[in-house]
Amino acid sequence: MSRVSSWRGALVLAALVALPALPFMSKFYLLLAFDALLFGAIAMSLDLLIGYTGLVSFGHAAFFGLGAYSTAILLERGVVSLWACLGFAVLVVGLYALLVSYFATARRGIYFALLTLVFAEVVYTFFRYTQTFGGSDGIQGVPPAQLVPGVAIDTPLANYYAVIVYLALAYALCRVLVTSHFGKVLVAIRENEDRARFLGYNVQRYKMAVCMISALLTGVGGALYPGRSAFATPDLMLWTVSGEFIIMVMIGGLGTLGGPIIGGAFFVLLQEQVSSYVDWYFMVIGLVLVFIVLFMPRGLLGFRRMLGFGQWRATA
Amino acid sequence: MKRLTWLAPLLAVALAVALAQPAASQQKVVKIGDLGSKVGVFEGYGKYQSMGIQLAVEEINGKGGVLGHRIEVIAEDDDTKPAPAIRKAEKLILQDGVKLLIGAVSSGSTMAIMDVTKKHKTIHWNSVSCAEFMRTTKFHKYYFSNQPDSRQQATGLAKYILDKMGKKVYIFYTDYAMGQSDGRQFKTALEKLGGEVVGVAGAPLDTKDFSPWFGAINQSSPDVLFLAFAGTDSLRLMTQLHSFGMTKKYKLAGIDCFLLQQDLPAIAEPMEGFVQLNHFSAYNPDPNMQAFNQKFKKKFGVDANIAAGAYDAVYFWKAAVEKAGSFDPDKVSAAHEGLCIDKTHIGRQCIRKEDHQVVMDMHLYRVEKGKNLPIARDRRQGRDRRGHGGPGSAEGLHLGDQEEELAARWTISSRSCCRSSCTASSSGPRWGCWPWA
Amino acid sequence: MNFAHGELYMLGAYAGIAVIGVTQSFWVALVVAPLLVGVVGAVTEVATLRPLYRREPLYGLILTFGLALVFREAVRQIWGGDMRRILPPITGSTPLLGMTYPNYRLFLLGASSVLLLAIWLFFTQTRAGIVVRAAVQDAEMLDGLGVDVRRVFTLTFAGSAALAALAGLLLAPVFTVYPQMGVEMILLAFIVVILGGMGSMGGSVVAAVVIGLTQSLFSLWMNPQRVAIAIFGIMIVVLVVRPRGFFGREGVLE
Repeated sequence: MSRVSSWRGALVLAALVALPALPFMSKFYLLLAFDALLFGAIAMSLDLLIGYTGLVSFGHAAFFGLGAYSTAILLERGVVSLWACLGFAVLVVGLYALLVSYFATARRGIYFALLTLVFAEVVYTFFRYTQTFGGSDGIQGVPPAQLVPGVAIDTPLANYYAVIVYLALAYALCRVLVTSHFGKVLVAIRENEDRARFLGYNVQRYKMAVCMISALLTGVGGALYPGRSAFATPDLMLWTVSGEFIIMVMIGGLGTLGGPIIGGAFFVLLQEQVSSYVDWYFMVIGLVLVFIVLFMPRGLLGFRRMLGFGQWRATA
Repeated sequence: MKRLTWLAPLLAVALAVALAQPAASQQKVVKIGDLGSKVGVFEGYGKYQSMGIQLAVEEINGKGGVLGHRIEVIAEDDDTKPAPAIRKAEKLILQDGVKLLIGAVSSGSTMAIMDVTKKHKTIHWNSVSCAEFMRTTKFHKYYFSNQPDSRQQATGLAKYILDKMGKKVYIFYTDYAMGQSDGRQFKTALEKLGGEVVGVAGAPLDTKDFSPWFGAINQSSPDVLFLAFAGTDSLRLMTQLHSFGMTKKYKLAGIDCFLLQQDLPAIAEPMEGFVQLNHFSAYNPDPNMQAFNQKFKKKFGVDANIAAGAYDAVYFWKAAVEKAGSFDPDKVSAAHEGLCIDKTHIGRQCIRKEDHQVVMDMHLYRVEKGKNLPIARDRRQGRDRRGHGGPGSAEGLHLGDQEEELAARWTISSRSCCRSSCTASSSGPRWGCWPWA
Repeated sequence: MNFAHGELYMLGAYAGIAVIGVTQSFWVALVVAPLLVGVVGAVTEVATLRPLYRREPLYGLILTFGLALVFREAVRQIWGGDMRRILPPITGSTPLLGMTYPNYRLFLLGASSVLLLAIWLFFTQTRAGIVVRAAVQDAEMLDGLGVDVRRVFTLTFAGSAALAALAGLLLAPVFTVYPQMGVEMILLAFIVVILGGMGSMGGSVVAAVVIGLTQSLFSLWMNPQRVAIAIFGIMIVVLVVRPRGFFGREGVLE
């Protein structure tokens, strides 16, 4: 299985790398592809939590936003090295995620969702009211980050390749994780937390670890965002954004890694395209979501592995 | 391989959807973009912006278009958030190839897309967002605004308030870029003219209950309440001020985007007597203004309002394109500078070279029974509505002639009001402004 | 957990506007609008939530997130996205403890107290209320005892929708009406419920009072903006020290 999937992954990666060579891939489509793949990658890292471990985080927008703010703060102040920005983002998001995951993983089910939600709201409120970081207008107009001094990631193409690298590494990491012993323990926790505990696993430590990994991946994704958008605003971490991340995972299919990437891309393209034609696109998105929950609970790409999900309620 | 069979049709559909763009390659068409809020708290402003653009474009197309090109408007919605706003701006510029972008409505979105128009060299007009830093720190070569800036409003209004309403003023503002700059400009203007600011307070955007601030306002017993809010915040604030009996206790004044004329009838009683300085009202008997409003009403069945200023933006752009003789953004931008157009609803308007701000006359209005009535009308029957009364007279202030003051970019006072050292107006990054500070 | 609860609150205000438009009476609307929204709630529950009860609660959470989008957009299409205003049926103001309070706010204070008392009596003193509590605690057992649990859930959902609508209409003259009004309210509602402890009505009331008092007392000596952060600070402390809230029972919904 793993050889097949790595072949398949290499194929998809090659297609994505070659995509800009297609004649119709204008700058605009490259930027759109950036958004689609970025949010796809974030949905995938959220899937580690929701799909594999059975922890529903309603606060992933805060990890994303913190990553974006970390980069924007440095870029605004003249630190333009991509590596410095990423390092700072990892540090900031890591510290925050440590705090959140320590308290949130102590609880189960809805309490976990609510705790992550409340922590995220604190971060959102803080940035909204902190004039040092631009208050509710956020940090605007930051310069592009530089890969090495003098080489800026400032074109849509460069940004596109940056997100491809991020997506590929993140996917590889997640794939290794879920097929490893660590991933099996996560699924065991999802299926029956108490049983996993009786088997001698330190359940909370596992949950914290996966929480941190998911948060850091999301934070790195967020750190790439200001390079493309030139801003970071509190709107990026509103709780409805966390909801949208969950929607992306649901559309793609829980516990599949590949599914949420497509779910995220699908969501971005849907929003972008529908909103150009009708002004009631939120209705469309809402109905799609309701439809998927009711009739396709395994998502667009959900497949047999999801069957195990039915037993999940015993722990939640 | 089961997954691949799923994947292929899905990707195909996604691509098909993404590429289903109408490839309108009709000859000699120039596209312009209308980026507004069609969903969300500012959708009223976005709707009127679209109508203004539509009216201007139809007129221009009826007379042969611009440089022989027919204008086509492409409207997009930014959901009043910066992230969708830049995506839509990129779509308009890179995909549709618009030569002019008008928008957005909220200042956050406008700031975000200013970077897009700068990067991709596109003429960008803003007729609705009213925060001054767009003309200072964020200002770029291709950006123009005909939304009267905070300072224009502050000077005129402060003068009138001191002459006719009272010396002690309390400034209450919405605590983000727009309200902060309006509050600060007004405070400076008022103090310069010898007024007393008895108190200043900011309430966050989307505050639901304003009553916690009312105690402080009552304690400082002002004569006049100066309010810098917009959208739903304005409506909620007025409703609550009224229920606490404070709309009758104090005289009211505020910024031009406080509430649109269309919203006033629903909140006529609390708003009674509210004074503002504005560039348009459907109830101004001025012939130019009425002529514009009649056109607008004939087309859309409703009165125009200040958000319809996008109409003038299109005409400015047309004039600049014709002057430049091409659609090249650099040439068109240069042609804009110092450009004047006559016979608009407010008479002559000119673009200031230094900061690409349109300079125009403004009138004082007072709300009476839900209508923005020009104050000059009561006392100056038969006089020139455009108000060439000079800076000394309160009524019909003419604010277009302050060139000597405008020559040098106005430096921002860094006194206590409205976080001047913390807002985006002060250039460069900041460190010392925390919520608990 | 219902993310569409805020939208039912919003629907209440809009239904109120519709009824007031027909009858010109706030008081008639106060009765009719919650009933209408209650029906909407019941229909929604039967059509969408009922098939999900045997599935993971997460699905319900996500479904209601989608429903919230649909409701909000439907309202915007019907009534427009502009702000609306409902005139308070009680005008004037009363001086009290050095401040002047609008009479309508005093009325709200009385009305909400009466409402709370009524809800408390319902849950503790009536058979229907006890059945609802039993259904939440152990639906299978109740089913075994011959109660139609599905109907109980539908009626409970309809009832909570009607209450949300009532709140929406009562608060409309103070907070004004617009399609996004529910989004801003739902988070506050969650916070109150978490702080008070899930499944504990007394807890919710205490939490609401604590938050309200904190908000007003803090704003006396510090900028009301900072109060928002302070509230979340309190909340985190409570959740860390006492995760089930003030009066929550251990284990509910865990």
